[in-house]
Amino acid sequence: MSSISQGAFRRAVVGLAGGVSDERIVRLTASLARLQRAELVGVHVVEIDWTLPIDADVAGRSEEAQRVLDMAERTAEEVGQKLQPVLLQARDVGAALVDEASERDADLLVLGLPYRKKFGGDFAIGRTIPYVLKNAPCAVWVIREPIIEERS
Amino acid sequence: MSEDRPLRGRKLADRRVRVDRPHQPFFRYAGPGQLVAREAASRPTTAVGRAWARLKSTAIGRPLANEEEIGERLAKKKALAIFSSDAISSSAYATEEILRVLLIAGAGAFIWSVEVAVAIALLLGVVSLSYRQVCRAYPSGGGAYVVARENLSQLAGLVAAAALLIDYVMTVAVSTASAVAQVVSVEPGLYGVRIEIGVAVIALITVANLRGLRESGNVFAIPTYLFIGLTLLMVGLGLVRVMMGDAAPVAPQPDALRAGTEGIGLLLLVRAFAGGSVALTGVEAIANGVPAFKPPEARNAAATMTTMAILLAVLFVGITVVADAYQIMPTMEGGQTVVVLLANAVFGGGSLLAVGFAVATALILFLAANTSFNAFPRLAAILAEDGFMPRQFSFKGDRLAFSWGIVLLGGIAAGLLVAFGGETHALIPLYSVGVFVCFTLSQIGMVRHWFSVREAGWRWRATINAVGAVLTAVVLIVVASVKFWHGAYLVVILIPILVAMMLFIDRQYRSTAAQLAVAPDRVVKPTRRDHRAVVPVAGIDRATIQAVNVARSISDDVLAIFIAQDPVRATEMRARWEAQLPHVPLVVIESPYRALTGPLLAYLEVLDRNWPGERGVPVTFVVVPEFVARTWWERLLYNQSVKRLRAALVGRPHTVVVDVPYRREDPESTPDTGRSAGGSAVSRPDPPAAT
Repeated sequence: MSSISQGAFRRAVVGLAGGVSDERIVRLTASLARLQRAELVGVHVVEIDWTLPIDADVAGRSEEAQRVLDMAERTAEEVGQKLQPVLLQARDVGAALVDEASERDADLLVLGLPYRKKFGGDFAIGRTIPYVLKNAPCAVWVIREPIIEERS
Repeated sequence: MSEDRPLRGRKLADRRVRVDRPHQPFFRYAGPGQLVAREAASRPTTAVGRAWARLKSTAIGRPLANEEEIGERLAKKKALAIFSSDAISSSAYATEEILRVLLIAGAGAFIWSVEVAVAIALLLGVVSLSYRQVCRAYPSGGGAYVVARENLSQLAGLVAAAALLIDYVMTVAVSTASAVAQVVSVEPGLYGVRIEIGVAVIALITVANLRGLRESGNVFAIPTYLFIGLTLLMVGLGLVRVMMGDAAPVAPQPDALRAGTEGIGLLLLVRAFAGGSVALTGVEAIANGVPAFKPPEARNAAATMTTMAILLAVLFVGITVVADAYQIMPTMEGGQTVVVLLANAVFGGGSLLAVGFAVATALILFLAANTSFNAFPRLAAILAEDGFMPRQFSFKGDRLAFSWGIVLLGGIAAGLLVAFGGETHALIPLYSVGVFVCFTLSQIGMVRHWFSVREAGWRWRATINAVGAVLTAVVLIVVASVKFWHGAYLVVILIPILVAMMLFIDRQYRSTAAQLAVAPDRVVKPTRRDHRAVVPVAGIDRATIQAVNVARSISDDVLAIFIAQDPVRATEMRARWEAQLPHVPLVVIESPYRALTGPLLAYLEVLDRNWPGERGVPVTFVVVPEFVARTWWERLLYNQSVKRLRAALVGRPHTVVVDVPYRREDPESTPDTGRSAGGSAVSRPDPPAAT
């Protein structure tokens, strides 16, 4: 844990939400991973509601889900780091991320925290981040999106 | 599609499924409905293809992606080595060309060599100033061709392009021949294999260039800078000795050329000037290759042009001054070159520096060819994009180099070297005419350019170009008239031939494009057209049945045609066909002259004529069963007639040829006819239709 606190890790799982913060968190994590020759796994989870079976053919048919992972892979390659893309279907994104990180013996889980301008602006913390913070067996980095102040 | 069963999570209800991504090894999604192919998608699938790819990768390196192009761009130092090795290397033989002419008036005429060299250096100054402006005004490259095309006419542009293309081929041949002469100077025993050495070197430079710009820059930078350094040292030391009065005249070699007794006159000086003007060859290469520079491309190219011109002028005039002071006499073909004799005189014969200089000179002369390997393919690519050369020349190869141009240049230059017996002086007359055609056209074009844009400083820029145009035009006339009967007439013949060829290609592309054009505002509606399928068969086997099934999926109107060479076989075939494939009509054509393709084509004609005229001509799908051979020798045994048939059908109006390959490994290729009349449908995969 002490090495993580100094920014060192050997395998990181990056949760990809498909939003604007994906590129930022992948670029940052990939740059750090490259420095210490760490492994990087990009995980995108497609949530399947209870009306469908968990193995329904949903994510495989989704171009958007594929694109999220391909863009992350490309971003990592731009900084010279390999990223292993993983596409999951699950009932709950947070649980799937934690389980995947746990199974892969990752020592770091990275998530992006988007900022929404609607209704006066707030961070969309949602359910996933609190779940991961509470349950992840490894260190968790939550990378906040910068707040762009509007000039009056 | 999920990978396998759901994976269990840490908690009971937390299950997840990993989803397969079959596209991932081959493609990457870049946007909605938009895929980008990865390297694996281009990887060959056959054993022969893989072996070829491995060989290619070993020789020229791994394939580069488009986005790696910027990494292949050249910094100024490398660009100087790549684009200026031609110009700078001409200082190794330009002085000798002057001395050879002046020798006609005796060794005393050598005193004029310095004046001639200075005059050429002044011309170089004007030309390089002008090309600096070309770099800035036309940053997309193309040099004289683009300048002449944009400002004069398409024809003028093509004349410049043809002259440039000839010039680049000549540069490779002349530089290589000259480099081999340099090697022979040091090791006369190699004279007998000079052509083989030259061809081998051209082959090596070709491969190095196929590896891409950056790598060839790495390989070629060291010899260029070594030559520049050693020549500057030789000139510097020589000048010091001259000033100190230590420069003792060098005794003529046993194989020295005999001095003539002709009087020195203006004509002789003009001829010497024409001979020495080879020093200007290669000056335009930077202007042709501006896009190869790192950003800001035009500025970097212009700066490199200035550095190159200064270096070339210093080296050329310096060598001429020192050679004059040492009274170096040129030798006969195969003997020591003037610069080697000079190096021996200055550094001491056999000294490390003298040998090093000879080696560096040979290397840079070899590398001068490399400048053309960068400029020729770029120009060919621009011409191909404009439709004046076959489109293949604009395609970039695995290493982002214009592979077609590189290979063509290597081939022609090697052929030229062999044809002229590897002799430098036999090749040089063909050389400088093309260069001065380009110089003149580009200068005139630039004058018109400045008059049309009239931006700040246009008057003095136009003046420089006008002076350059007059000077280079005069030199062109001199060079062409002096060297005309020595071989320059070939260039005068070749330029119109090349221009005519380019115009022909352009006309061909234009007429085809006009025939294929679809109006941009036309909305293409679905059309309904009658069609039928014809299956030529040679027997009943699995390949035939597969082809018949494909034909039935294309059209309801399916007809099998069997060309029989004897009536007994025809009867047997019909009986078996009607028993096994009763739902598909069979037409048997007896061919007493044993021809296969002719009767089939004739029958297709008959079918077309029998078609009701009011329904329009139908599309005929000729469905050809083809047995997929597993090895090279199987390929020789099977499908020979299929190839002939396909060749005969290609281009037939309203006809589509459909190949239906049958693989022995295909489990689903089992015939659907079962084992009725004849037991097993086939005992062996008979060669299909037409084997």
